[in-house]
Amino acid sequence: MGPPPIVTGVSPKEGPPGTRVTVRGEFLGKTASDLSGLTICGCDCLLSAEWKSPNKIIARSGPGKGKGEILVTTRSGGRGTSTVEFRGYHEMIGPMKESAVWVEEAPLRKMWWGRRGLTPTTYQHDDPLGISIEGVEQKFPEDGLHKLFPGGSGDLSSENFAAGWFLLERHHATPFDDLRAGLAFLRRKVDGQKEGQLSFIKSNVGSVMEQLDTLAHLKERFEEDVEKQGQDPTIRLEAAIKESMLEANKLFEDVLSRRERADATRSALAVLQRFRFLFGLPGAIEKNIKKGDYDAVINDYARVMNLFGNTEVPVFKKVLAEVESRIAQLRELLHHRLEDAPTTLEAQKKLIRNLVNLEVGGDPAWDAISCHSRHLAATMIQCRDTHLTQEQTALEEGGKTPKSSKSKGASSSNQNTDWQASVPARVLLTEELADTISERFPDFWKLGQAYFTGELQVKVVPGRQQDFKKLVLAGISLFSGLLRAALMPHTLVKTPAAERASYGVWHSRGMEGLGPWLPHCLRALRQGYSSLIRLDLPSEVLDIVASLIFDLRVHCMSTLMKQAGESIRNLHTQESWNIQFDGEHGGITHLPAECERVVAEALQLAKDSVLLADLRETPLLESNVVQRDLNNLILNMLLGFVEVLDKLALGSDAMAGDSLGASQMIGSPSIFRGSDSVMDKGRNKDKETGPAWEQRLLSVLSNIEYTKCVLLPRIADLFARYQLPAQTGPLAAVNKALAELDQRVLDAYLEQRSDPLVGTIEPSMYIGNFNWDTAVKPADVRPYVKELLTNLISVHSEVHSISPGLVWRVLPQLVETVAEELARLMVCLDRKFNVHGTEQACADIAAIREAVQVYSTPTAEAFFDEALEAVPRLSDTQGKKNVETVLNHFRSRMRLQLMCFRDPKGTRNPS
Amino acid sequence: MKKPNQQPALHKVIMVGSGGVGKSALTLQFMYDEFVEDYEPTKADSYRKRVVLDGEEVQIDILDTAGQEDYAAIRDNYFRSGEGFLCVFSITEDDSFQATQEFREQILRVKNDENIPFLLVGNKSDLGEKRKVPLSEATGRATQWGVPYVETSAKTRANVDKVFYDLMREIRSRKMEDNKPGNSRGKDKSKRKKLKCVIL
Repeated sequence: MGPPPIVTGVSPKEGPPGTRVTVRGEFLGKTASDLSGLTICGCDCLLSAEWKSPNKIIARSGPGKGKGEILVTTRSGGRGTSTVEFRGYHEMIGPMKESAVWVEEAPLRKMWWGRRGLTPTTYQHDDPLGISIEGVEQKFPEDGLHKLFPGGSGDLSSENFAAGWFLLERHHATPFDDLRAGLAFLRRKVDGQKEGQLSFIKSNVGSVMEQLDTLAHLKERFEEDVEKQGQDPTIRLEAAIKESMLEANKLFEDVLSRRERADATRSALAVLQRFRFLFGLPGAIEKNIKKGDYDAVINDYARVMNLFGNTEVPVFKKVLAEVESRIAQLRELLHHRLEDAPTTLEAQKKLIRNLVNLEVGGDPAWDAISCHSRHLAATMIQCRDTHLTQEQTALEEGGKTPKSSKSKGASSSNQNTDWQASVPARVLLTEELADTISERFPDFWKLGQAYFTGELQVKVVPGRQQDFKKLVLAGISLFSGLLRAALMPHTLVKTPAAERASYGVWHSRGMEGLGPWLPHCLRALRQGYSSLIRLDLPSEVLDIVASLIFDLRVHCMSTLMKQAGESIRNLHTQESWNIQFDGEHGGITHLPAECERVVAEALQLAKDSVLLADLRETPLLESNVVQRDLNNLILNMLLGFVEVLDKLALGSDAMAGDSLGASQMIGSPSIFRGSDSVMDKGRNKDKETGPAWEQRLLSVLSNIEYTKCVLLPRIADLFARYQLPAQTGPLAAVNKALAELDQRVLDAYLEQRSDPLVGTIEPSMYIGNFNWDTAVKPADVRPYVKELLTNLISVHSEVHSISPGLVWRVLPQLVETVAEELARLMVCLDRKFNVHGTEQACADIAAIREAVQVYSTPTAEAFFDEALEAVPRLSDTQGKKNVETVLNHFRSRMRLQLMCFRDPKGTRNPS
Repeated sequence: MKKPNQQPALHKVIMVGSGGVGKSALTLQFMYDEFVEDYEPTKADSYRKRVVLDGEEVQIDILDTAGQEDYAAIRDNYFRSGEGFLCVFSITEDDSFQATQEFREQILRVKNDENIPFLLVGNKSDLGEKRKVPLSEATGRATQWGVPYVETSAKTRANVDKVFYDLMREIRSRKMEDNKPGNSRGKDKSKRKKLKCVIL
């Protein structure tokens, strides 16, 4: 208890009701709520009190009048004391008076409107002396008055009225004359009042008498009543009430007793009903179980346990035991059903709820979850086994029946005819697994979610979250593992052996023919994946599948590319050697077009199924490894085409028995071309392998050219169109390989052509025992020159017929060789020329030189010069003239042949 | 605290002076060690507390009056009950100093006693730089009246206790003088009369 409050100051120390008073002192309360009471002059002012500090409170004074203490009460200090006093006085406020106090106007106005009569003038206290004291501020201190008139009062209506007090209080400032006038006024007033009373009675004497009569009459009547009824008139009434109560009770007694009986009967019936229910319960349970209406059983069970759970009656106990055993059976049954083949999610949830309601021990929900997980795994394993055996049988059968057709089936047509039967088991497995996952897994997951969100009304055992996650992970891992084992065994190399075995080992032979199905598998897998994504699974789980899909996409892509490569490599079997011309690039076979088609197809497939990233998949080509692989694959694919070309041109198959011997030409040099074509035709008939080797070489050359100039840019375009990264590396490599092949093929062709050509020069030169030493005057160039030119023309035509552009690559080389041979022959003669021989030689060389001038090269020119050097100089003008004559003759006679060597406009390839 | 058997002596002090010179501020500072910044004209406030004056417990009753002229008429009543007066002016306001003359005269008239305990107080001594009433003038008037002059600051509490205690001592000694029978009082009375005659 703290010190009691003490008030030591008040500001102001007096005032009319409602004055704002500042109370000061000590211990006036620690907080605003500590202040529990405040009275000023005996009036409670707590309501208006405003606690400022322990030294200061502001309040409004109450209606108390006179001097009084200011008492503060606090919870901590109790009731306090005061050393100062407040004096309340009632100010008379008229319309002329300035007042510091707010005059309440509302009640005034109400009076004004409510009942007339209380005008401000009557409201004012009339001064008995009729003197207004308004505006007189000075007040005579009350203390002084008390001292002067002990026991007196200034109140006119008081018994202790002291006239001196009154005068001092009200009129101590009134001049003496005014007081006298006031006295006169008072006198008049008193006289008037006396007069007034009397006259009032006089004028109303009639009604006064009437009133008196009425009073007398009333008294009379009352006395009469008392006489009649006695002193207390309520006794009779009481008796009547009591009697009626008795009557009423009698009336209702009947009804009440009937109701009681009815109640008793009803409760008896209820008891019977209950017993019947109990005794009939075992049967009902059995029936309901049979019907599958487990909810009803559980309801009944709960009810019976409520009603009879605590019974002591032996018969009831016996029946209850019966019921219990039925329920136990039901529990067993439900549990069994739960662990049995998975039903729908809802059914399972219902089963779990039933089990929970039956207060089965353990954790049925968790059992269901783990059972579901086990079942999922079992289904997948079973699925694997089925298809594994199926494939094995298929393989074994394949081993017996013509196997080649089956293994080759990837590209051959019989795949299409009976594909239904020959869908690889692994593909079926993939489809089935994906289906399983997308059908079963959501149920499993939702069950788990329901378990953890408390939807199953089961208390979740801590740590189960982790276990559940493990189960989910295990399920998905198994799924992924099985698929990997079936589709991509190579990705499982690093997994432990035991785990690896659990995913099933597939025979490597089964991998063949799987390629075309991979996109299909991918699609199935993606469907499963999308159903998983919708489940809002943890990312760890999704990542497993995502990585599986990624790997499968990579695998699929590489398989596709490999396939394309293979089919490109197989293209050589399809070469028909049909030359097609297009305006720009000369003749080509259909191989490049085939190649382009294959590449385009592969890319289209890859694009459709693999490269496009699906939901929650990374773009395949973001990975560097994948991109490198892709580069390699594409390089391989294109190199495959190079190989095909190589094989076609230089393969042992192409060369076999297809050499043109020189002897043939010596024998029939003049019909070189004809015999050649005849031979070709003969060979064609014999072997049916298309045109002559040289022609094929030319075709290949042309194809190479075409590939370089047209096909590769087109393939690059294809990449661009499928939004694949530009394959500059592989294309450059292919270009290089092509260039090298081109050179080789060209060399082979040149060798093939120049050997016989050059070989025929010497024999033909000396045909008919011609000798440069004993020559006669030349009339014409020698036949060997013509033959040589004819041969060149035939080569020219052969090349031109396939690819005009090639002429410029082939003929200059040939010309060089011919010039070299000519030089060699001339040098060998060791200047054993007679005059005519010299003329002849000069004419021959000049003729050849002139004829092939268009295709001549500096090297060839050098050889021609060398040949001319070897021939002795023409000594006289006659000889030169002769040579000129011969040449002219040659020109005119061989005009047609010479025209062949002219530069036909536009064929010259600037490169 | 139980009521002591004997009520301690009660000294009634009255604060007079023009409006706004700091009468209430001095009072509150003395009573509650509190300096009130905001100005709110006083009507008439009453304070009373026990203090120890020279080892003797006494009660001081302070009547804080209104300085405004509006209330001049009711001053007489208050002055009648006062035993000692603190006549306050503000040293920063010459008018308030001039008004002290009027107050002095009114008090003497009401009390009819030349030697009534009376202190001339120059308040707001902390505002020295705004001083309008020279110290010499104030002391001069005090000597003329035969009363002490003290400069105070309600804000810094300088000399606040001093003025109240000095006045109480004067009141006490006056009371002791009055209670003494014999010539001293008569002497005083004659003295008073004499002085009164001078004024008249």
